[in-house]
Amino acid sequence: MIPHEWRETLPRMSSSPNALCFGHEFPTSGVPCLVQIGLQGLTVVFTSDGQEQQEDIPFTALSISVGGLDHDHLVLKWPSKQGERLLYLKDAELIRTFRRVAPPSVHIPFEQAASVARLARWRRMGAWGVAFGILLTGVAGLWWGSDLLVALAVERIPVEWERKLGEAAYRELLARQDLVKEGPAVSAIQEMTRRLVEQIPHNPYKFEVTVVKSDVVNAFALPGGYIVVFTGLMQNAACAEEVAGVLGHEIHHVLQRHGLERIVKRLGLVVAASILVGDQRGFAGLMKQFSVEFVGLTFDREQETRADIAGLHLLYDAKIDPFGMIRFFERLSANDEGRMEWLSTHPMSRGRAERLTAELAAMPQLTPVPFTFDWAAVRESLGAPPSAEP
Amino acid sequence: MRSEILYPGAFPLVKIELSAGEQIKAESGAMVGASPTIDVESKMEGGFLGALSRKLLTGEKFFFQTLRASRGPGEVLLAPTVPGEIVILELDGVTEYMVQKDGFLAGADSVRIESKMQSFARGLIGGEGFFILKIGGKGPLIINSFGAIHRIDLKPDQEYIVDNSHMVAWSATTSYTIERASSGWVASFTSGEGFVCRFRGPGVVYIQSRNPGGFGAWIRQFIPVSE
Repeated sequence: MIPHEWRETLPRMSSSPNALCFGHEFPTSGVPCLVQIGLQGLTVVFTSDGQEQQEDIPFTALSISVGGLDHDHLVLKWPSKQGERLLYLKDAELIRTFRRVAPPSVHIPFEQAASVARLARWRRMGAWGVAFGILLTGVAGLWWGSDLLVALAVERIPVEWERKLGEAAYRELLARQDLVKEGPAVSAIQEMTRRLVEQIPHNPYKFEVTVVKSDVVNAFALPGGYIVVFTGLMQNAACAEEVAGVLGHEIHHVLQRHGLERIVKRLGLVVAASILVGDQRGFAGLMKQFSVEFVGLTFDREQETRADIAGLHLLYDAKIDPFGMIRFFERLSANDEGRMEWLSTHPMSRGRAERLTAELAAMPQLTPVPFTFDWAAVRESLGAPPSAEP
Repeated sequence: MRSEILYPGAFPLVKIELSAGEQIKAESGAMVGASPTIDVESKMEGGFLGALSRKLLTGEKFFFQTLRASRGPGEVLLAPTVPGEIVILELDGVTEYMVQKDGFLAGADSVRIESKMQSFARGLIGGEGFFILKIGGKGPLIINSFGAIHRIDLKPDQEYIVDNSHMVAWSATTSYTIERASSGWVASFTSGEGFVCRFRGPGVVYIQSRNPGGFGAWIRQFIPVSE
């Protein structure tokens, strides 16, 4: 039996239970008990039905380990008369006192247990750190590498699919439009297209250009080689070379697959967003998204600039006066305030004209070959005066 | 507070009698009925950030409701959302329970609730998400399950294996590791178990007799798909 004086050497820290005791005759959930630490050992006080029962355990009888779900309990084990007893301590103050008071024989196993607990904590934090690191890298990779991913994805889509995609949208769009099916305007556009397309090496596309009656000064391209030119553009162009410039630009939207890039980017966002939000119906909306994408098909500024430069080179190769394209942008810039409708994603026309002028200056002198049609007659066939106001 | 489980089984109610001035906390939306002396307040347990982290991390409700017998003694009826049993645990101030996020129904005001980050592996494949509730303090804690609640008693170093989606609550003195159900990867998944948790005593583990995720997957096949 251990003398009672042990307990008197340290102040009584608390009177409510501060540990759980497990043993064969105890309930499996453990019995709350009050542990007090003295200079020679522990005193464990159990209270049941108002009766206090206590057990004194010398430090020498204890074996020490770490337990609990997160290795955050100090586990003390000793053999008692009723069999093996386990004490689970979590109270930080109690554990500190134990560490301070425990004799050297207990000190070493205590420090070993503490290092097990620390190691478990570090490993847990380390796993989280690695997980967050991977997540961050993934997000950063997607953020910075999304263009590359889009380019890779676009590259894998066969031209045949692109044609089918484009054609479906093209037919639907044209069904609601008033088309110019024949006449000088159509043959002029066909001649321009033929001269430009002839200059494209290894052309996988069969370009189809349609003239649509509309006052809108614009033209647009759909994936797969489908191009629409509005009569408004032709009525406002002072010469055929200006229209050819716009055509060259649109042809390069097709060749560089800008439409597909936009679709893949948009789809990527929708898919990513629906995964993040967990909205299964997001996928159902994808097909709708397709049609919306086609109708409102707009390119970003970088794509516009690339199409401008490549279009200029195409004009040059086709021996069509590239100044027409530049002049057209200059005239557009004079109207940037709004009379001519031009999509907002297009770079400001003045900047475009300047960039093209600089590009052209670096190219050798060109002797243009004129078109076979009379532009004034084409304009007249569309109901515009023979010459556009400058 | 004095609590009693009415209609034990799949669709139980808890009746809690409060003396004047006494209050309890409950999952928001858990109240079914109450005496006119009871006031219902919503409270962000653990302050705004605590509530926010609980909401974002464990998916638990942002607000708990506080039911206070402010105008004299009265009673409150509480019920969980899902069909299943209710168990009342008496917390002694020392014992702590880990409770998966849907397991908490109500508790005495002196019951302490915090959300706790699990280890990465447990969070990823343990089936209760990355964060669980750690509930300690003193007084009655009322937990609910999907299906019946089964109690497993573990002596020191005794082990027991539980399917990861059937866990409800377990005492903090138990520890568990996650492992494959069978020795091979293919067998683990073709056996339909995938991962299991190997619990090790001492302590108590409460499991639920039905798997909410499995039930959801089963019922989904009967739901007509719109669009």
